[in-house]
Amino acid sequence: MYIDPHIHVVSRTTDDYEAMRKAGIVAIIEPAFWLGQPRTEVGSFKDYFSTLVGWERFRASQFGIVHYCTMGLNSKEANNEPLAEEVMELLPLYVGKEGVVAIGEIGYDDQTEAEDKFYRLQLELAKEVDLPVLIHTPHRDKRKGTIRSMDVSEEHGLDPQMVIVDHNNEETVKEVLDRGYYAGFTIYPHTKMGSERMVEIVKQYGPERIIVNSAADWGISDPLAVPKTADLMRKSGIPEDHIKLVTYQNALTAFGQSGQMDEQDWLNAAPLDQTKKMSGNSVLRGGQTPRVEGPSDIVEN
Amino acid sequence: MQDQVSNFLIQLLQAGNNSKGLNWLEKQTQKISSEPVPAKLFLAFSQASRFFKKEKLELSVKQLEQADQLCSGFEPNFWDELQTARAVLLLSYKAEKETWFKTVNQLFETADMYEHQALFAALPVLPFQEDLIPRAIDGLRTNISLVFDAIALNNPFPAKYFPEANWNQMILKAIFMQRPLYKVQGLEERRNPDLAAIARDFAHERWAAGRDVMPEIWRLVAPFVDEMFMSDLQKALESQDELQMKAVLLALRESAYGPAEKQLEQFPELVAKLDMEAKAWKSIGEEFQQTRV
Repeated sequence: MYIDPHIHVVSRTTDDYEAMRKAGIVAIIEPAFWLGQPRTEVGSFKDYFSTLVGWERFRASQFGIVHYCTMGLNSKEANNEPLAEEVMELLPLYVGKEGVVAIGEIGYDDQTEAEDKFYRLQLELAKEVDLPVLIHTPHRDKRKGTIRSMDVSEEHGLDPQMVIVDHNNEETVKEVLDRGYYAGFTIYPHTKMGSERMVEIVKQYGPERIIVNSAADWGISDPLAVPKTADLMRKSGIPEDHIKLVTYQNALTAFGQSGQMDEQDWLNAAPLDQTKKMSGNSVLRGGQTPRVEGPSDIVEN
Repeated sequence: MQDQVSNFLIQLLQAGNNSKGLNWLEKQTQKISSEPVPAKLFLAFSQASRFFKKEKLELSVKQLEQADQLCSGFEPNFWDELQTARAVLLLSYKAEKETWFKTVNQLFETADMYEHQALFAALPVLPFQEDLIPRAIDGLRTNISLVFDAIALNNPFPAKYFPEANWNQMILKAIFMQRPLYKVQGLEERRNPDLAAIARDFAHERWAAGRDVMPEIWRLVAPFVDEMFMSDLQKALESQDELQMKAVLLALRESAYGPAEKQLEQFPELVAKLDMEAKAWKSIGEEFQQTRV
């Protein structure tokens, strides 16, 4: 059993879902983020947030995967200030919903003043609703941005245990762990971590508070990055209980602090039923036979 | 009216022995009514799931009567604690039309599945009923049965307010989704020739595809049986499916169509069984739903 605690499945196909389930992924977390194309209207955010708690959650369930999400205004789009203000008004509608396990991804991109302002506002929101925070650390000037994210979080009085600092690398991991934060690692070809580097990090730092994810999205990325990294760890002689911590348990412990994520959600899940429909849309297209597990194989309609 | 319903719902929640939840609810309703900014309602409405579970309410006979007195056809005995708490929150928001709609529209547009259930089931006790008709009609476009049921079943709102075309669409969709028709309030009273014809077309489509129709469909046909419907009912009688046959016989018995009498005489045992059942349509509907599980 694996958890991928950071994946943007709105960009992925049903083939990916099937492969993920087959590879042993039981639960995923989809952080609210940007979509490549910048949004220009608050309504686009509203429908995106609704998708995260609605259609995408339903779609994942059709493949036997429990879907959670985080809600937040990403740092890139925080730079459109008038729009960002409107998104901030929208967030209270979503942060309290079932299955919202953190405020995120928030933090810095270019480390501008606007980014700083909305990062701080959302830290306060997280405190108000008692949710963990998922921090996106910048691609450029990463080390400084990461340290600044933690400094500001502490300035607002957040407990490092409630904060997951994501997209770490060899340069940031030590300080993040030393200061008591959860350290996320994204296995993402080209721009972030590779599986081999990940193995070395777990060897060096041990499994405590380290969380592996794929961050698979619309870029060249791999929705199976978590199980594949676990396999490589096995081959490299990392003990099974360490592998379990970094590919399952630590994510559950960290995001479970929301009170919105429980192992029973997938251990006691209702049987898979692709005949269910939502908003008039089935995930199946004409002619495909729905897959139904459990007591009933008879499909009406 | 809003306060009365709200107090009644709180009284129903008290049976759940959830003092933590009730304290939270009291605090939230105070905040919502004293500070009429939507953010308080938005936060409380979504966070209600942290304080109330989806446990069904249990009503005494007296409480069932009270519910009906407060609002004719109101059936909170089909509600759970979470949606009841959400209805209380909603009722504590000041009913000033323009701001009320602005806020409540936001709730509808951003709701998840269970929030939709709470909102739609609460329609009969909300203010500005007639202005909510388009919202209810739009809500029926869902194919999540939980949400569809909240509008269509055990809810007096559609029968009271829907224009005939929308009412017929709702019933047809309920048939299509195989929802229990006996739980639709006002089903008998609002039967009409158009709906009977729609039901007939639907049966033909199903038969053409080599499928059965749900037996409750014949209830819609009963008052309008004529030569044309008779041939369909005869076809259904030949199905050898007891539930289907019972439904047809019930429809025939209700109809004023002369030749129906002859048909009934051919199935004395089944007709006798129907006489034993005080609520025959309900029992047919229940039995049919059981075949689906």
